[in-house]
Amino acid sequence: MLQTTFNGIITGVIMTLPALAVTLLFGVLKFPNFAVGAMMTVAAYMAFALNAQLGWPLLPATAAAALAMGTLCIGIDHVTFKPLRERGGITLMVASLGLGFILENIARFAYGNSARSFAIELARPFRIADVRMNQEQMITLGVSTAAMILMYLLLTRSPMGRAMRAVADNPSLALVRGIESPRVIRWTWFIAGMLLAVGGVLIGMDRALEPPMGSNYLISVFAAAILGGLGSPLGAFVGALVIGVVSELSTLVVPPNYRIGVPLCAIAVILIFRPQGLFGHPYIRK
Amino acid sequence: MSHPLSPPAEILRATGLHAGYGAGDIIKGVDAALGQGRIVTIIGPNGSGKSTLIKTLAGLLPARQGEIELEGQRLNELSAPKRVRAGIAYVPQEYNVFRNLTVLENLQIAREFMGAGRSHHRVLDDEVAGLFPELGTHHKTQAGNLSGGQRQMLAFACALTVRPKVLMLDEPSAGLSPKYMSDVFDKVKRVNAMGVSILMVEQNAREALRISHTCIVLAGGRVRAVAPASEVLGMKDLNSLYLGDAQATLH
Repeated sequence: MLQTTFNGIITGVIMTLPALAVTLLFGVLKFPNFAVGAMMTVAAYMAFALNAQLGWPLLPATAAAALAMGTLCIGIDHVTFKPLRERGGITLMVASLGLGFILENIARFAYGNSARSFAIELARPFRIADVRMNQEQMITLGVSTAAMILMYLLLTRSPMGRAMRAVADNPSLALVRGIESPRVIRWTWFIAGMLLAVGGVLIGMDRALEPPMGSNYLISVFAAAILGGLGSPLGAFVGALVIGVVSELSTLVVPPNYRIGVPLCAIAVILIFRPQGLFGHPYIRK
Repeated sequence: MSHPLSPPAEILRATGLHAGYGAGDIIKGVDAALGQGRIVTIIGPNGSGKSTLIKTLAGLLPARQGEIELEGQRLNELSAPKRVRAGIAYVPQEYNVFRNLTVLENLQIAREFMGAGRSHHRVLDDEVAGLFPELGTHHKTQAGNLSGGQRQMLAFACALTVRPKVLMLDEPSAGLSPKYMSDVFDKVKRVNAMGVSILMVEQNAREALRISHTCIVLAGGRVRAVAPASEVLGMKDLNSLYLGDAQATLH
């Protein structure tokens, strides 16, 4: 039970970063980006190329992949989403589905279907209070916590973070408060891309690198963001932990391969009983 | 256009302005001017294009025809954020604060983005802070949790963080209790005394005109009359002037 809870926390912690990316993008751009899974995959393979193929240590490889993915996301937005911006959320969502297929298959084309792993040294797992932990899990905890603290500071203490929240809150008021939304949108994509890249590397470390690695997490990540309240960064964090722990704990009562049903049920239950999520605000149509 | 009352110098001017949503124009060739240091109130029946006019001036709607000038400089091509930095502050009617942000964050955003890189230690200078004493005690409150009147004051304060040349207000007294309503008009007067020219759209015509210099009557997307506010206030049939159609439908 304790072990399962711990594993659930790790699964949840891995999802906090992509869930935060989903929630930031939704807040500012008002559409659910279903390409986040494939974006994580592509970024993980970028880090893999630098780490396993060029021999970089994983940390700088991840940092470089994060910067590259952030920049790539700005480019992707420019060619894919920007021309469709006035067409509404559904169009953008469908575009993101298509983009996801393309990105995932680029990764498949480049690296094939077989599972690969990062070049990191294996360390013996250790035990604390009967819970087995390994080094990768500790790295995951540390990196995700640090990223969440940085994001919190960015969103509350920096002018750009405040501007992102302002645009998410009320885009037309943001304009008359002098906020240039194209700039805010570019920063949002850059930050989301970096979060997705780090998330992708963490998934690759936890499991293995394979083309569907990111999209496997898609439903859980969306369940986390919806549970927390789309658009709420704190909600994404709490939602990811809850979905992670509940999914893992469910394996105590249902066969493990039904685990994926948990986030799906969660989405259904939340949308019926509390569509705004835990920390979201009811949507008011103006 | 020749004015019945020629104001000192025009700070903001619209000439032959057309704008609207979708296929049709809502404002159809509006000529209007705001004199330096003046308070001008636009009145008119519902759907006469008052809000459309003010949104077009703020840059939220494109002008389909006509000119907008601030101190003689053409503004048409400037985006809404650039017009703000050029010196036109705008307070929308509703949703005029960021509800999920705190009072302090609302003020910080205004300070950071409305001015062209001006930096100050405090978010509000003494004169503006003095106008809104109650905001100081609510810095950490989420703006969405403020009362309607307090939100209006916050929106006002945000627009004033960088001394604008022109302040445009869309129905500043809408939905407020009588106490706050007179408070709002009192603030408008004091802001004007600080040297800010004010253009406002108002349904509570009498209260607004009492502090205004000039009244513009808008109906059917066109300017029907421009007159000194005192003259309009003195008219017995003020209601018929702008409520003409609305009153007919009441009976």
